[in-house]
Amino acid sequence: MATIPHTSPFTHNASSVRKVMLQVQIAAFPALMTHIYFFGFGITIQWTLAVLTLIIVETALLKLRNRPVAPYIFDLSGLITVTGIVFCIPPESPWWVIVSGVTFALIFGKHLYGGLGYNPFNPAMLGYAFLLISFPAELTQWTLPSEVSGHHISFIESFHLIFTGQSLNLSFDQLTGATPLDEVKTALAMGVPVTTTLNSTNFNGEQIPYGWAWINVAFFIGGLWMLYKRAIRWQYPVGFLGSLALIAYVFHWIDPDTYAPASFHLLTGGIMLAAFFIITDPVTSSTTPLGRFIYAAGIAVLVYVIRNWGAFPDGIAFGILIMNMFVPLIDQYTQPRVVGYRR
Amino acid sequence: MTTTPTRTFKQKLILGLSKLYPMAKRALYRFHGGVFPRYNKELSLSHPLITDFIPKTLVLPLQQHVGVITEPLVTLGDLVLKNQLLANTEKGLAAPIHAPTSGKIVAIEERTLPHASGLSGLSIILESDQKDQAIENSLDVDGSIPEMPDKLKALIHRAGIVGMGGAGFPTFAKIPSQKGQIKYLLINGAECEPFITCDDVLMQTRANDIVQGALIVAQSLGIEHILCGIEDNKGKAIKAMQKAAKDTNVQIKVVVTAYPMGGQTQLTQELTGIELPAHTHAIDVGVLMMNVATFAAIYQAVIHGNPLTSRYVTVSGLGLNHPFNIDARLGSSFKELALLAEPKTPLTYPLIKGGPMMGIEMQSNDVPIIKTTNCILATPPEPMEEPMPCIRCGECMDACPINLLPQQLYWHSRSHEFDKVEELKVFDCIECGCCSFVCPSHIPLVQYYRFAKSEIKHIKQEEATAELAKKRHEFRQERLEREKKEREDRIRAKKEAVKQKAAQKASAETTETEKPKANAAAAAAARAAKARAAKNGKETPPAEPKLSARDRAIAAAKKRTDAASKPTESNTTTPTKKQKDKPKDPKAAAMAAAKKRAAKAAKEKHSTQADATASTETDATDTTDTMKDKRAAAVEAARQKAAEKKRAKQSEQPENDSLETPSVATKPSDETTATPNKASDAKRKAAMAAAKARAKKQQSKTTEEKT
Repeated sequence: MATIPHTSPFTHNASSVRKVMLQVQIAAFPALMTHIYFFGFGITIQWTLAVLTLIIVETALLKLRNRPVAPYIFDLSGLITVTGIVFCIPPESPWWVIVSGVTFALIFGKHLYGGLGYNPFNPAMLGYAFLLISFPAELTQWTLPSEVSGHHISFIESFHLIFTGQSLNLSFDQLTGATPLDEVKTALAMGVPVTTTLNSTNFNGEQIPYGWAWINVAFFIGGLWMLYKRAIRWQYPVGFLGSLALIAYVFHWIDPDTYAPASFHLLTGGIMLAAFFIITDPVTSSTTPLGRFIYAAGIAVLVYVIRNWGAFPDGIAFGILIMNMFVPLIDQYTQPRVVGYRR
Repeated sequence: MTTTPTRTFKQKLILGLSKLYPMAKRALYRFHGGVFPRYNKELSLSHPLITDFIPKTLVLPLQQHVGVITEPLVTLGDLVLKNQLLANTEKGLAAPIHAPTSGKIVAIEERTLPHASGLSGLSIILESDQKDQAIENSLDVDGSIPEMPDKLKALIHRAGIVGMGGAGFPTFAKIPSQKGQIKYLLINGAECEPFITCDDVLMQTRANDIVQGALIVAQSLGIEHILCGIEDNKGKAIKAMQKAAKDTNVQIKVVVTAYPMGGQTQLTQELTGIELPAHTHAIDVGVLMMNVATFAAIYQAVIHGNPLTSRYVTVSGLGLNHPFNIDARLGSSFKELALLAEPKTPLTYPLIKGGPMMGIEMQSNDVPIIKTTNCILATPPEPMEEPMPCIRCGECMDACPINLLPQQLYWHSRSHEFDKVEELKVFDCIECGCCSFVCPSHIPLVQYYRFAKSEIKHIKQEEATAELAKKRHEFRQERLEREKKEREDRIRAKKEAVKQKAAQKASAETTETEKPKANAAAAAAARAAKARAAKNGKETPPAEPKLSARDRAIAAAKKRTDAASKPTESNTTTPTKKQKDKPKDPKAAAMAAAKKRAAKAAKEKHSTQADATASTETDATDTTDTMKDKRAAAVEAARQKAAEKKRAKQSEQPENDSLETPSVATKPSDETTATPNKASDAKRKAAMAAAKARAKKQQSKTTEEKT
């Protein structure tokens, strides 16, 4: 103590990186519950696999980098990364998908850049993009919600599916199918208007897709709690959701047959996950208040563009990764006015 | 809360909301950011104010303010009375020091100052006699309010008042000299630092002094608006101040409790809505803010003629059983006061001067209280959290009252990109500590900014020095160039003149006779100089094994001189006969002749011009000559010889000297002979070098042979 000069302030508000990360983890809990309710226990198996991979990879890399292992594993930042990936992949995808995804995310998304605080790209989205490009087939086979498939998948079945790729009594194709985003896109390609697709039985008849919508609502609730706890900044969800809703609304108003309504866009795919859990990662996003808003809005634009005119059903991962690259530029031009200076 | 009846609906709403979401409080005030630390003010407020404590020894540093150090006006053993002037200076910005109690001056010596680096400074040590005999009205005032700012300034200066909020800037220097320049007089009673309650207690006990002090300043400077900002956690102080301010135009404004409300920029904005522009003084925008303690001190000085000799100090901290406030005599020891507050554990840890947010850890606990000390904090150090990497969360930015980007400042400071740090306006940072306070990674952010600031200052200083050196060099080059040109012009003109003369006169003898005279003067000067040099110390010991280049050059020059003068049977002692194969080109012969002449002349004029000064020498060298080089050589020769003679005489060992000289000169003379075509040139250079070295030596007047 005496050797290090102790300087003011001598007091602290007792916050810590670990507490912030823990809050994020807790906020994801409602979504996890909803996920289990609609899609079965597959996600818990995936999550366990991801955490095991995380511990092994992080320990190995921290050792290789000559860094203390304990403080950097228990800062829980890795946990947020793997949770992000787990929520993105289909719950019954083969075990090696999550393992390779997490490994790639941690090595190439985090540690090669210097670990926590130094990575320019969102590690979770980097890992997910890697999976999307490497294993497109596996990643589009989403387990259908029990209401759609008519079968509630059990833990054992999930386990079998993940580790063997075989189901005990049902065929894999019966349980899995396209996500609503996929469905709309494929239908459009075949000339079916969006409104017709949305009114089909797969969408509750009320244009709200089963399961996915409720998970998004759960993420939204968790996100509000994080805002209250000051774990995340309001500019991200407001900028992201606001911009996406606005664009979707405008296009839907112009041509309702080609463009899905704003509610559909906000409640499908990983929109709420992204809005509150992914784009809010402070390390890879802009730091100025206006910059955060621009960053979030930029992602929204990219997501909408990729969803409607891109090759992939969803564009969150690519939208985020692309905007990550603009962060230094955004930061440069959005510096706030310092007290005592005129703009 | 009950003391503030006027709350708008919006404020009530936010306050209600803040119970749910604490950070909503940030919407209650005007400045950006701010934090809400645990205040712990009740600790020191729970015990009564101590007023009667007089320490045995008082240490009064001669500099307790921003500016120049004062000079002691008392001497060792002097008996002084309370309020007696002890130290003052007219040399610059300063505040005089007065005796805090009666007693004896026992020492004036270096003592450790309450400074972060633990540096020491000259201090007057006063041993109190516990009688506390005072000079009443020592400032000799009549109790009337000065009508002109200048009079007030002079009085405040004499009273030794400085900014008591912590800045320590002499108050008189802060006050403008013109009436009507200030629109708002602000009384800073915010006291936003946790633990500190000395201003609170001062407002409770001496509210009248503060209000009257403010009225004095306002009247003297012609200020209309007087606003006093007090944080809403000081209910008693607000009441006392409101009572004292009744029927005056002093407005007591209750402000929200938020750190750093007491900052000048923050409180000014809060009270007046004026955002102080960067790089300007507050008085330039018509705002004058002073701490409550400063106003109380002004009142005491103007009305009662009492100088500043004591101040309220909070002695608090989690490590004390009996924290309190004290009307402490300046010069009281930190340690003594902390011990008075019954520490829970022995004071093996450093005390902190100031509050926990901006305080400074002391290198020694035995430092005195000075005019700017508002708090002594005894908080046992806790194990520090290991700093984690910055996660760019932005908490620091949200907390910064200046709206800086602390996280980017940190990033660039860390990577030593000081130009960028400066661009991000690090010098506007008030080091309030809000950013470090909220940092989840526990990074000592403020420390990084302090580091960056000092580095930038250092770099700037170096740049300025380099720039100056460059300018000097360029100027010198220019001057040399100019002089050279002038000299050449002069020589050319002279040449023309000589040619004309030569044409006019048949004989060239006149010029011949003129020359030695000039040379003689120079030689005499040289001789005198050499003699002085010789006197200053025994030069090169004869048997010196290692010889500097200069010595070798001297020796070589001597040798050559002797060699040159020998064939013409000069009257000096001939030290050597070894060198026989000396080249005899026309030039050398001419030089030899010149040398001979010079030597003769020198001998003749020896008695008359023994005390010739250096100026003569300069004059002599400036004397124009058609054969400049020759003459220089002659001068050299003369010098050498004269010196030799002198030395020989002094040492009374002519044989030894003459034997030793050649031996040391062998090496350079060999070189000279090896390159005959360059011989004369090298000789001349060597001689010049020798002369230069000698001149230097003479200047430095040291006995060492190596300069």
